[in-house]
Amino acid sequence: MSKATLDGKAIPLQDACREAARILGGATFPVIAGLGADVAGARAAILLAEQLRGAFDHLASREILADLDVMRSFSMFTTTPNEARVRADVLLFVGPGLSALWPGMLERLAPGQPPRHGAQAGHPRRVFWIGPEANEAANIPATVIPASCDELSELLAMLRARVGGRPVAGDDARRTGIDELADVLKNAHFGVVVWSASSGIDPLAIEMLQAMVADLNVTTRCTGVPIGARAGAAGVTQTAGWMTGFPPRTGFGRGYPEHDPWRFEAKRLVESGEADAALWISAYDGEAPPWSNNDLPLITLSPAGKEPGRGLYIEVGKPGVTHDAVEFAQEIGSLALRKSHAPTGAPSVAQIIDAIATELRGEVSC
Amino acid sequence: MLTVLRGGHVVDPANGRDAIGDVWFRDGHIVAPPPGGKADEEIDVSGHVVMAGAIDIHSHIAGGNVNTARLLLPELHRAIRARLAGTPLSTAKWSTFETGRLYAQMGFTTVVEPAMAPHASLQTHLELNDVPIIDKGALTVLGNDDFLLRMLRKGEAESAVNDYVALTVGNTRSLGLKCINPGGCEAFKENLRVFGLDDEVPFYGLTSRQIFQALQKSTQAVGIHHPLHLHMNNLGIAGNIDTAIDTIDAAQGLPLHLAHVQFYAYGKEGKNAFSSAGARFAEKINANPHVSVDVGQVMFSDTVTISSDVLKQFNSLPGGMPKKGAIFDGDANGGGVVPYAYKISNFYNAIQWAAGLELFLLINNPEQVYFTTDHPNGGPFTTYPDLFALLMSADLRARIMARLPAEALEHTILPSITREYTLYEIAQMSRSGAAKLFGFTDRGQLAPGAIADIAVYRPGKDIAGMFRRAAFVFKDGDLVVRDGAVTHYKRGRTLNIRPRYDSNITTRLDAYYDELYGLPRSIFDLPDAALPHNDAFAEVACRK
Repeated sequence: MSKATLDGKAIPLQDACREAARILGGATFPVIAGLGADVAGARAAILLAEQLRGAFDHLASREILADLDVMRSFSMFTTTPNEARVRADVLLFVGPGLSALWPGMLERLAPGQPPRHGAQAGHPRRVFWIGPEANEAANIPATVIPASCDELSELLAMLRARVGGRPVAGDDARRTGIDELADVLKNAHFGVVVWSASSGIDPLAIEMLQAMVADLNVTTRCTGVPIGARAGAAGVTQTAGWMTGFPPRTGFGRGYPEHDPWRFEAKRLVESGEADAALWISAYDGEAPPWSNNDLPLITLSPAGKEPGRGLYIEVGKPGVTHDAVEFAQEIGSLALRKSHAPTGAPSVAQIIDAIATELRGEVSC
Repeated sequence: MLTVLRGGHVVDPANGRDAIGDVWFRDGHIVAPPPGGKADEEIDVSGHVVMAGAIDIHSHIAGGNVNTARLLLPELHRAIRARLAGTPLSTAKWSTFETGRLYAQMGFTTVVEPAMAPHASLQTHLELNDVPIIDKGALTVLGNDDFLLRMLRKGEAESAVNDYVALTVGNTRSLGLKCINPGGCEAFKENLRVFGLDDEVPFYGLTSRQIFQALQKSTQAVGIHHPLHLHMNNLGIAGNIDTAIDTIDAAQGLPLHLAHVQFYAYGKEGKNAFSSAGARFAEKINANPHVSVDVGQVMFSDTVTISSDVLKQFNSLPGGMPKKGAIFDGDANGGGVVPYAYKISNFYNAIQWAAGLELFLLINNPEQVYFTTDHPNGGPFTTYPDLFALLMSADLRARIMARLPAEALEHTILPSITREYTLYEIAQMSRSGAAKLFGFTDRGQLAPGAIADIAVYRPGKDIAGMFRRAAFVFKDGDLVVRDGAVTHYKRGRTLNIRPRYDSNITTRLDAYYDELYGLPRSIFDLPDAALPHNDAFAEVACRK
C-alpha cells in the first residue's frame, strides 16, 4: 500500500492522484523535473509532459549534457566495459571519485588482469590515473599523475599536445609523467580512457580527452568508457531520445518537442515563474529539488522516508530494488532488466503517472 | 464487422490479381466475398488502387545506433508542427512515434530493422515497441562475435554453430540473421583499416568469406526463412564491384540476400576513377536467382549514415557533413554514425544515384530486388514515394538527369534505359516479394485468410504524391489513415521466429560469459517483464 500525503497529512492514494491531475491539468506550463526513474517511468513522464504541453528535465542534465555536447559539437569514441575488460592494453582513468560513481568499476574493468583478446592478450595492462582521490588508486597497479579537478583541463591539454608531438611548458616532473603516458598511449593496441562528467571535470576537458582519442586513432586504436550520471540518467536520456528525438531539457509548449538546455532547465523555469507547477520525480534516492521557490504547486514522487514537508507527496518504489525495472546498466553499457531484490509493493513511477494520466483524461484532451 | 472495398483497381501479385474488383474483410482478416453477402460497411474505392500493406525489408528505425544519431544531430530534426489529436509525439521528428505515423501514411504496415546487436536487443525492442500502428521485425547481427569466431577457428561441427545461431536469433526475438562486414569490425579493433573478402581476421585465422559462408549454411540448417542478410566488405569504395561479384560467386548456390547493393556498384572508370558498375552487377544478379538484393538508393538530401560497419564508418568520419560523428566499438560489431549530405551537384553522389537506378531497372525480376534507401543511409524512408516515381517514369528520370553534373552521365548507362515499373511490379517488390523473402504467409497479399493490412491509393499525375498520402490504410482491418493522415494509433506487433536448438549450447554459453566477462549471461536477456506489453510479439513459423 502506497503512502500519500498533502502538506504532511495522509490522504488516500486515489485522492492524491486526482489532486496531482488537478494541479498539473490546471497549470499553463508544468515542468516534469528530477525524472530520476527507470525507462518505464521516464516513458510515462515524457508522455505526460507531452500531453500537458509542459517540459521535462532530469536532475543530472548538467552531467548528461556535458558528454552529449562533446558528441554533438565534436565527436565521440566509445566502447563497452566488456570490450575494455577483454581488450584494453592501456587503461587511463581521468578524474576523482570514479570508483564511487561506479562502485563496480574496478571489478568490471579488472585493471590488474591482462587483456584477453588481440596481440596484447596475456600481457599485463598499463594503468594510469590522472587526478584520483587520495588512495582511490591504491589497490590497483596504476601510475598516478596527481592533479586537482581544476588541473585536469591543463593536464589533458598537455597530454594531447604530447600525443601530437608538440612541445609543452610546465615543470619537469609533471612533463616527464605526461610524456610517459603519451608514449604509452601512442604505442597501445587498444587504449581505453574512462571518465565521468559527474566527477566535476570541466566539459571542455572531456572534449580535450575525446579529441586526443580521435588523434590517437589516426595511427592506432583508442576509445572511451563514459560513466553515466546518477538517478537513471543514461537510460532516461535514451528513452527521451527515441520518444522525442532529444535528451532532457525539452519542452512541448508549441505542441511538438523543442530542445533547449537553457530554456527548459527546470530550476530556471521554476525560479523565473515560467513554470507554474512541478512534478518532481526522484525514485532512486529521494533527492530534493534544486530550486529556491517554495510557492510553486509541487507534486513529489520519491521513495519511503524521503517525504518532503510540503506539497503533495506520493511514495514510489525504488527501481530495480522494490520492483523490476529496465535501466541503463553501467557494467554492460546498455539497458537491462534489474529484478527486484527487496519487493515492498510500493508502486512504480510509471504506475503513479499512469494513474494521474487516467485522472487527467477527463480534463485535458489528448 | 464485414467491410468491402468496392470497385478499386486491385493489384495483388501474390494472387495474380491486376483488375477492377472488390476486397472483403472481417475481424482483421481478408475474407472471400460471402455468397449473396451484404457488408456492414461499404467503401467506394473506384478510381483508386488497392494493394496489400507494404513491407519494408531494411530500414534502420530502432536501436542504440539509431538513437545515437538522434542525439548527435538535434539540428537535423527540429519539429515544426503540432500533432493531431490521438497521436502523441507523432510530429516529433525522427521519434519512433513519427516513424510509425509516416510509414502508415505511405501504406506501409510492416517494417524490418536490419541491425540488432545481440547485447543491445532490449533497447531495440523497447524502441520498436514505441513505433505505433505498424508491425515490426528485426535481424540479429552475428559474424564479428568472439564466440562464433572461436567456434569456426576450432573447426567445430556445423551442428554446434547451428545451435548458437538458433539460440541467438530466438533469444533476441528476431526474424533472422544479418552479417555486417564479417570479421571486419573485429579486425578494426586490431587496427586494420581495410578488410576484404579474403583478408584474415587477426588471431582467428578466418576470412570474411569463411564467416559468411558458415552463417549462410547455418541460416538454412536451422530453418530461418530469410536468407543470410549480408552487408559485404568494402562498402562505398571505388572498384568494389569486384567484391560484390566475388561475394556472389562465393554464395555456394545457397540463398543469400545482399544489402544496399548500390553502395557496391562502383567501378574505377574515368578521370575521377569512380563510375557506375550497376549494369555489370545487375547482370550478375540476373544470372543468380538464389541471390536477392535491396538497393540502398541514394536520394539527394541531408541525412545521416548509421551502420554497424564500424571500420567503414570510421573511414567516413573525415567526410562527415557536418563534420562530427560517433564511433562505437561494441561487444561485437558496435556502430558508427556519421552525418552526410547527398548533393545533386556532386559528381560522386550523382554516380551513386544513377548506379542505384540502373540496378532497379536492369534486374529483371521485381521479386529479387527491393526498394530500400537503406534508411537513413542513402536517404530517409520518406523519399520512397519519390523513388517509386523515378522507377515508374523515364521522363522524371530524364528531368533529374538534366540537373546532374554532365561528366557523371558519361559513367552511367542510365540515360539509355527506358524501362518503367508498372504498379504490378511495384507491388511485387514491396508486397508479394517482400513477404516471400521473410516467409510471411499472412501479409503482402490480399487472399482470404491474410491479415487485413490494406493500402488504397488515389492515382494522379503526381506519382510520388499518390504513394506519400494513401487515401485509406487499414491495419488489421482498422482504418488508421484517411486522406493521407493518421487518425489514431493502434499497437503493432513485433514479428519473430523461434528456431529450435539443442539446449547443451546454453550451458556452454553460460560458462563462456562467466569465464570471459565475469558476468551472468542473463543480463543480456530479453524477458517479457522488460517490455511494456506482454502481447508485444507475434511468432512467425520457421521453414520446415
